[in-house]
Amino acid sequence: MNSDTPSSSAGGTGSADTTGARRNSKRPKYSRFTQQELPACKPILTPKWVISAFLLVSVVFIPIGVVSLFASQDVVEIVDRYDSDCIPAGARNNKVGFIQGSQVKTCNRTLRVPKRMKQPIYVYYQLDNFYQNHRRYVKSRSDQQLRSPRNENDTSACKPEENANGMSIVPCGLVAWSLFNDTYNFTHNNQQLAINKRDISWKSDRDRKFGKEVYPKNFQNGTLIGGAHLLDPSKPLSEQEDLIVWMRTAALPTFRKLYGKIETDLQAGDVIDVTLENNYNTYSFDGKKKLVLSTTSWLGGKNDFLGIAYLTVGGLCFFLAMVFIIIYLVKPRQLGDPSYLSWNRNPGGH
Amino acid sequence: MKRYIYINDDDLAQDLYCDNRISNRKYTIWNFLPKNLWEQFSRFMNQYFLLIACLQLWSLITPVNPASTWGPLIFIFAVSATKEAWDDYNRYLSDKKANEKEVWVVRKGVKKLIQSQDIHVGNIVWLRENDEVPCDLVLLGTADPLGLCFVETAAIDGETDLKTRVIPSACMGIDLELLHKIKGVIECPIPNKDIRRFDANMRLFPPFLDNDVCPLTIKNTLLQSCYLRNTEWACGVSVYTGNETKLGMSRGIAEPKLTAVDAMIDKLTGAIFVFQIVVVIVLGIAGNVWKNTEAKKQWYVEYPNEGPWYELLVIPLRFELLCSIMIPISIKVSLDLVKSLYAKFIDWDDQMVDLETGTRSNATNTAISEDLGQVEYILTDKTGTLTENKMIFKRCCIRGTFYGNENRDALSDVELLDAISTGSTDVIQFLKVMAICNTVVPIQSKTGAISYKALSQDEEALVRAAASLHMVFVNKNGNVLEINFNGLLLRYEVLDILEFTSDRKRMSVVVKCCLSGKIFLLSKGADEAILPHARTGQQTRTFSEAVEQYAQLGLRTLCLAWRELDYDEYQEWSLMFKEANSILVDREWRVAEVCQRLEQNFEILGVAAIEDRLQDGVPETISTLRKAGINFWMLTGDKQSTAIQIALSCNFISPEPKGQLLLINGKTEDEVCRSLERVLLTMRITNTEPKDVAFVVDGWALEISLKHYRKAFTELAILSRTAICCRVTPSQKAQLVELLKSCDYRTLAIGDGGNDVRMIQQADIGVGISGREGLQAARAADYSIGKFRFLTRLILVHGRYSYNRTAFLSQYSFYKSLLICFIQIFFSFISGVSGTSLFNSVSLMAYNVFYTSIPVLASVLDKDLSEKTVMQHPQILFYCQAGRLLNPSTFAGWFGRSLFHAIIVFVITIHSYAFEKSEMEEVSMVALSGCIWLQAFVVALETNSFTILQHLAVWGNLVAFYVINLIVSAIPSTGMYTIMFRLCRQPLYWTTIILITMAGMGPVLALKYFRYTYRSSKINILQQAERLGGPILSLGNIEPQLRSLEKDLSPLSISQPKNRNPVYEPLLSDSPSATRRSIGPGTPFDYFQSQTRLSSSYLRNSKDN
Repeated sequence: MNSDTPSSSAGGTGSADTTGARRNSKRPKYSRFTQQELPACKPILTPKWVISAFLLVSVVFIPIGVVSLFASQDVVEIVDRYDSDCIPAGARNNKVGFIQGSQVKTCNRTLRVPKRMKQPIYVYYQLDNFYQNHRRYVKSRSDQQLRSPRNENDTSACKPEENANGMSIVPCGLVAWSLFNDTYNFTHNNQQLAINKRDISWKSDRDRKFGKEVYPKNFQNGTLIGGAHLLDPSKPLSEQEDLIVWMRTAALPTFRKLYGKIETDLQAGDVIDVTLENNYNTYSFDGKKKLVLSTTSWLGGKNDFLGIAYLTVGGLCFFLAMVFIIIYLVKPRQLGDPSYLSWNRNPGGH
Repeated sequence: MKRYIYINDDDLAQDLYCDNRISNRKYTIWNFLPKNLWEQFSRFMNQYFLLIACLQLWSLITPVNPASTWGPLIFIFAVSATKEAWDDYNRYLSDKKANEKEVWVVRKGVKKLIQSQDIHVGNIVWLRENDEVPCDLVLLGTADPLGLCFVETAAIDGETDLKTRVIPSACMGIDLELLHKIKGVIECPIPNKDIRRFDANMRLFPPFLDNDVCPLTIKNTLLQSCYLRNTEWACGVSVYTGNETKLGMSRGIAEPKLTAVDAMIDKLTGAIFVFQIVVVIVLGIAGNVWKNTEAKKQWYVEYPNEGPWYELLVIPLRFELLCSIMIPISIKVSLDLVKSLYAKFIDWDDQMVDLETGTRSNATNTAISEDLGQVEYILTDKTGTLTENKMIFKRCCIRGTFYGNENRDALSDVELLDAISTGSTDVIQFLKVMAICNTVVPIQSKTGAISYKALSQDEEALVRAAASLHMVFVNKNGNVLEINFNGLLLRYEVLDILEFTSDRKRMSVVVKCCLSGKIFLLSKGADEAILPHARTGQQTRTFSEAVEQYAQLGLRTLCLAWRELDYDEYQEWSLMFKEANSILVDREWRVAEVCQRLEQNFEILGVAAIEDRLQDGVPETISTLRKAGINFWMLTGDKQSTAIQIALSCNFISPEPKGQLLLINGKTEDEVCRSLERVLLTMRITNTEPKDVAFVVDGWALEISLKHYRKAFTELAILSRTAICCRVTPSQKAQLVELLKSCDYRTLAIGDGGNDVRMIQQADIGVGISGREGLQAARAADYSIGKFRFLTRLILVHGRYSYNRTAFLSQYSFYKSLLICFIQIFFSFISGVSGTSLFNSVSLMAYNVFYTSIPVLASVLDKDLSEKTVMQHPQILFYCQAGRLLNPSTFAGWFGRSLFHAIIVFVITIHSYAFEKSEMEEVSMVALSGCIWLQAFVVALETNSFTILQHLAVWGNLVAFYVINLIVSAIPSTGMYTIMFRLCRQPLYWTTIILITMAGMGPVLALKYFRYTYRSSKINILQQAERLGGPILSLGNIEPQLRSLEKDLSPLSISQPKNRNPVYEPLLSDSPSATRRSIGPGTPFDYFQSQTRLSSSYLRNSKDN
């Protein structure tokens, strides 16, 4: 194939056009695109390139891994599982009966601060084996209703908790209805430790998703206890931050939700007494409940995963780079050696 | 079944049979929608998508908004339907043009100009010279007093020579005026597609002659789409019209072609579908079990104790919908898009423009470009496809003197011109034979220029050559020929014509010189038909050497001879000849015998060599494609010796002295069977040797083989890389294609004439050469090209790239949908196997339709190797032919990759976004971003050449992902409100994404590198060679050898006698009926000539570069 052909023929077209020969009028102008001749860079995987890429990755990843591991280590976290301990010894055989009964469910826990915790200290409750992402559950809500009182009766999506006694429940649906309703009180050195429960939810949710004029109403009091009947009917939804937090459904069956913030520093060795109302039923499905106090880092809460993963990937890349270097040195292979083309060895054969 | 046609009966003609309206349309306005929808829904994929879309309307089970499926579905259907409608509209337009052509037809006794579509059966149609015949006619009258007319039947059988047609004996001598009023009845068969037979009877009504029944044959017909030539006018009665004509019946409906790649994609889709069903069943059962054990305890889910009857189905159906994206709806759109782009690239290609005529290559069928890269067999027509279909007188040998060499034709050879001007008797006699011994009709136009109309292209070439050597055949006046030699007018009266038959292999004329009254016999013919009959004493060795030498050059040779006849001898013979001609039984044999009596004691004059010039680059094209592992079959209507000669000259058999021809022939079944078995045996033996064996079969033997020994013939077809089939009919061509297809070979048929149309339609890929024989083939073909040599580029460049690109694109499409689907499946394990979708509707739809489709579309520009490298190493096509880039095992690789990536994305996402960060929308977006990043890098890794557009598509898409999601995140009413803004501010998000990307790509890169460097495929090696050290030559390339060959073997020096290796000889020369089965004058199978040709053109090319 003569590489000059296209350009010369294109030139020919131009002159032909001017002379009025319209035979080739359908011929598009020669362009690099139509001839598939756009300039292209054609990288290939040379040993140099690949090995240095792997080395580079390991050089970048290992420090990041170390840094994130440190960040995670810096976070001080107190986790206290209380679901079984808060059942009185006598009721241990029938936890579900206890939690559904009307006894006093107050429970006292003591937490010891292992290291100095700088404010803000976040207070979470953690639920295990709780499927907020279950399909029936996650869909059972009405964002329209939450947003504006005009859509109060827009509850079709909320089954099976859409209305009570013929009235639309606000907020409707399983998610709202099953609101977590344990409460925590912290005392430190016999002093009430203030928990700031403002701004624990997303600002965008307060502003846009949960209406300022929507008030909770029409809650039934069934046998199964969700927490939503505890909502204060005089407060608009946009101020019901526990609900807003709860309604950001979790993607995993183990999740923490923010309960509040403690805005004082805690010193190592400090003892915190927690008085909690153990209302929420996780006993039917063997779910765990935990109270978590945690500081935060630039990466969020305590989570070693990222650091370890970075170190692993970085290490692996380093290992691969070494392996490739060794293979390269031990068994050098010339790239693009035509003698490897089989048809050069046995003509005609494949 | 019979059809009775009343000639010229206006009342009867109207209703009985259809009118002459041609319709190739598939739809009408009314049935378009239902028929098109029905066709579209007959594809499995479409049924599947419809089912999914319908299921999604059930809100209980749908995980996402139904619009996410309905939108693309409707879009896809609209696009396909529009395309179909447009194609059909174009067919309608071309039909309309043919239907509205005006023709002269007798209506109520008066000639009228009407539209072609209004012709009815029984009408009398008048045609003028060069008119196209509008429907099948039975001749009634012509301008010729003997009732002859000439037609060109190229559109029907591809033979370009003129054929004579004669009016039925009953119509002989009817006055021109009376032809308007002729009445009668024709009894003929119902319409059929046999173009060689027409067994009918005609009876004219009084007053026209008697009531006798006059038999009609195909000789009395003018078939639709033929052209009337050399005849001032002709008229005939229409017998078959519209789509019922012989041509219309044999047209056949072109079935939509499915490429091997499509078939493979369908297969893989089927496999994925099965996989999906298994997943759905497993997850459905798991979901129901979980529901009954665990979910009942989850009070907050509030499962009712008693569900509806279909309760058990709900969870499996939810999973079905969740997994429905496993089969990407976008793949069809993407494939259609890229396929039409491949076709456009072919249309646009400036290197496939025939500069002589300015014809561009054109891809009519936009859907099958990948198949071009997988061609295994090429079945090619000869005349007009390999050759230019232009016969040119090249050289001659007169009385031992060779005229013409490789630099100069004989026509411009000074020696010959000298000989003519000096009046050498031999030369002049030679020229006379050239000018007279033929059936050519000279036509003098008003300007005085003479044009020749000939039945045979060879004769025309001879007459033309004679004319340019001052022996001008001026006029034919009845039986008197006028020849102008250097201003001297010579007149000869033709006494007899001893016609050419393929048995006699010669033709002669007996002429009387008007001046001297002497009678001559002038003959020309194949050497074996002339040389043995030389007069005693004449040495014929020079001539046979000349013949041999010319044949090696790939020229067609004719020996010219003459003899003076005694008046008495002639008289005596003439009587016998007349007698033989009027005999009824065995006439042909008798005539041949009588001719034989006269055709002896020849004074041999010389040998003329005619070239049916090969198109430019044919040998190179064939040898390149042969190196690419493509097998060639030549199917031609021509005779065996010509076919073999052409095959020789165009590298049909590898250019090394190892070719061998095996002939299959025989007149009876037994002979053919024996011959076939012998060939098969030889073929089996030689198959292990590196020897190029070809078999030659003629139409008759082929017919028998296909009918009775199909199995043996099929085996032969598989064993043989090369075959030459001569004297085959269009339907046999199609049968051969069918045969190869039935052995699961990808076939490409290339041809230029109407006789190739059926084979072109039958083959997986039909290529038409828009050449001299009109556009019939080009119109029916999937691709039309201007010259045979463009085939290399079509296959090696366009076909190969298309295959590679589609292979990547289709597997990638599955990869990306499997990736997201696996994540959904994994998520279902942590969401109570309840069928929750991790991703929201918008993301899912955009992922499939937008984020992952755009970057991969840019892969239509990807080139793994440069065009130059591919041309240098055509063997690389093997990867495409064998389907190495798209098959279950490569697919398994992609499947594994998507599984691996899904695990990476899922595990990393749920671990880094655990606990307090495990918010549904955020997790979903993190996972989605991970997928997008991975897919961008996967595309980048799999891209071989980055043009600016690819960079734009891959990285631009990544940017677009963020832009789009940021925009969506700014809309309060969506579930994604603020999510993307929040994520982009988190260091955690970016560290997670980087981790996902590296963890996902690292192993893939390592594996690819390892295979690329240490387990490299041929493609890899060539890539490396191309990009590191510039293009390399194969060590085993033939070019260097050729150069050395050329040094010691110039074409002129071939005259030395060949020491023939027995290998060259046909193995089966002992077969009974064969006198000499090799190529005419025993042309040995060697390829020196073609080699030198190749090498010289190679040198030429390299100089140009």
